[in-house]
Amino acid sequence: MSAVAAPAIPQARRWWTTRRRSYAIAFLFIIPALVNFAVFRYLPILAAIRSSLWQYSLLGGYGQFIGLQAYARMLQDPIFWKSLQVTTVYVATKVPAQIALSMGLALFLARENRFAAFVRSAIFAPVVSSIVVVSVIWALMYHVQLGLINSIITSVGLPRIAFLSNADLALTAIVIMMVWKEIGFSMIILMAGLKGIPDMFYEAARIDGATRWQQFWSITLPLLRRVLMFVVVTQTIFSFQVFVPVYTMTKGGPLDATKVIVYYIYQHGFLFQDMGYAAAMSTLTLMILLVVSAVQMRLLRSEVDY
Amino acid sequence: MLKRAVLVQHVPVPRASSFTHWLQSAMQQTWFYTLGAVVLVIYVTPFLWMILGSLRREVEIFQYTYPLTWRTFVPVEWSLKNFLDVLGMSPEGNSFGLNFGRALANTALVSAAVVASSLVVNTMGAYFFARLDFPRKGFLLLFVIATMLIPFEAVMVPLYIVVRSLHLQDSYWALILPWYASPFVIFALVQFIGEIPKELDEAAIIDGASHVGVLRHVIIPNAVPGLVTTALLEFQFIWNLFYWPLIAVGSKDLQTIQVAIAQQTTQTQVYWGRIFAGSVLASVPVILLFLLMQRYYVKGVVMSGLKG
Repeated sequence: MSAVAAPAIPQARRWWTTRRRSYAIAFLFIIPALVNFAVFRYLPILAAIRSSLWQYSLLGGYGQFIGLQAYARMLQDPIFWKSLQVTTVYVATKVPAQIALSMGLALFLARENRFAAFVRSAIFAPVVSSIVVVSVIWALMYHVQLGLINSIITSVGLPRIAFLSNADLALTAIVIMMVWKEIGFSMIILMAGLKGIPDMFYEAARIDGATRWQQFWSITLPLLRRVLMFVVVTQTIFSFQVFVPVYTMTKGGPLDATKVIVYYIYQHGFLFQDMGYAAAMSTLTLMILLVVSAVQMRLLRSEVDY
Repeated sequence: MLKRAVLVQHVPVPRASSFTHWLQSAMQQTWFYTLGAVVLVIYVTPFLWMILGSLRREVEIFQYTYPLTWRTFVPVEWSLKNFLDVLGMSPEGNSFGLNFGRALANTALVSAAVVASSLVVNTMGAYFFARLDFPRKGFLLLFVIATMLIPFEAVMVPLYIVVRSLHLQDSYWALILPWYASPFVIFALVQFIGEIPKELDEAAIIDGASHVGVLRHVIIPNAVPGLVTTALLEFQFIWNLFYWPLIAVGSKDLQTIQVAIAQQTTQTQVYWGRIFAGSVLASVPVILLFLLMQRYYVKGVVMSGLKG
C-alpha cells in the first residue's frame, strides 16, 4: 500500500501508513473495554498481591515491606483453615446434589407439555431472583419459632428444628437453600445438552432392547459428558465463592460452622480493619481457584467430540 | 443424519391390548403430574408466602403460623402498611428512616447506566473482534476471555482497594464504572455478529459507510436478539448485585435495594412484614422481565453454558 506513495516522498517509507491508520481506528473500538478490564479486573490482582506483601491499611495506605508475613500468619490461623474446610464441605455437598437433581429434573421435564413448561418456569424463577431476597426469605422460613418450615414439620407431629442456630445443621440448611435456588440454571443447560443428542442413538438402543436405565447410562451420560463437565467446573468455582447467604443468614456462625472463606475475608477487610490480611487471603483464594479451573479446563479439553 | 420417520417405520411395536395400554399411559401420566405438582409446590410456596405475607400485618403473620392451615398463607385482613412503611410513606417508616423508594431509584439508575454503557462498549468491542483487522487480535481476545477466569467474589476486596485509590468509593461511579464492560457479553456478541453475513457490511462500505455507519445500519439492526439477551442478563446481574454495593458505598443515600433489604435483617428487632414487602419490591422488576422475555433468558443461559 505504502509503495504507491513512495515516489512522492523521496525519504524512507512513511510511518503513518493507511494500514496503520486503519489499525488505529480499529483500536479505538476496543479501547474502552480494554481499559475496563485492565483497571477493574487485572489491576485488583496486582493490588491484592502488593497489599499482601506490604503493610496496608485503608486510611494509612502502604507502609513497610513485610514480605510473606501475612501468608505465614494464614498458616497459623486456625479459623482460616476452618473456613477453607467449611468452604470445601459446602462445595462438595452442594455441587453434586445440585447436578444430580438438575439432571433428574432435566430428564423429567424435557417434554413438550404446557404443565412441564410451567414447572420449568417456576424452577427458573429463583435463578433470576436476587440471592439476598432468596436467603432473607429462607432465613425466615427456617426460623425456630415462627418459620414456615417448622410449622410444616410440627403439623405432621415432629419436633421443631433449629436449622440456623445449630452448628451441625446450619451449613446443610444453606446448602439446601442454594441448591433450590440454582438448580434451574444447571437444569436449563443440561436440557439444551439433552436436545443436542441425536435421536438415532436412542432408536438404535431401543431396537436392541435396551431399558431406559441402560439408555441413560450408555447413551445420555457419555454423550452429555462435555456439558456435564462444564456445569461442574462453573458451579465449583462459583460455589467456592459463596458469600451472601452466610452474610444474611448466619454471619458465619454458629461456632464458625458456616464461616466460608469469602465471608472470612470480608470480616478481616471491613469489620476488623485488617485489609492487608484480607488481601493476602484473597490472593490465595484466587490462586486456588485458578489452579482448580486450569485442572478442570484440561479435563474438559481432553474430551472427545461426538 | 437419518430422518427419524424412516427409522421408526421399521420398528416392530409390541401390540398391547387397548386396556393395558390405556392403564400404562394413565399411570405414567399420573406419575408425571404428581411429581410435577410436588416440584411446583416446593418452588412456588416460598414466593407465595413472601407475597401474601407482605400484604398482611406483622401480628397476623405470627398469629397464624401455627397450626398450619390455609390461614398461614392467606391474610385475614389485607393491608398495604408494610409497603407504606418501607417506602417511608408512613409515620413508623419515617421514624425508622426507611426509604426503599430511594434505594429502588438508585438501583434503577445504576442498572440503566450499566446496561446502556455496556451495550455501547461491548458492541464496539465485539465488532472489533468479529470484523476489524488488527495485528495480534488473538492475543487481545485472550486478554478479554481470561478475565472470565478471575473469580468474581474473591477479588471484591482488592477491587475495593483499586476503586478507593482512584477516589471513586462511595459514589454512583463506584457502582457503575467496574461493570461497564463485560467479557461474557463481548464473547456472546462476537458469536451473534459472526452470524451476520460479511457481504452486508462490505456492501455498506462500498456505499461509503464508515465503521460507525456499518455498526448503526448493518450490525445493530441484525443483532437485536443478541443485544436484548445480553442486556437482560446484564440488567439482572446488576440489579441483584449485593457484595459490591455493600462494600463500595457507605452512605445511605446511595444504598441499593439489595443492601437495604439485607440491612433489615441485621437489626435487633426484625420486622418480617417489611422484609417481605421490600423483597417483593426488589423482585418484581426482575421476575416480570423474566416472565415477559423468558425465551431470551433461556437463550442467554444456554449460550453461557454451551460455549465450550
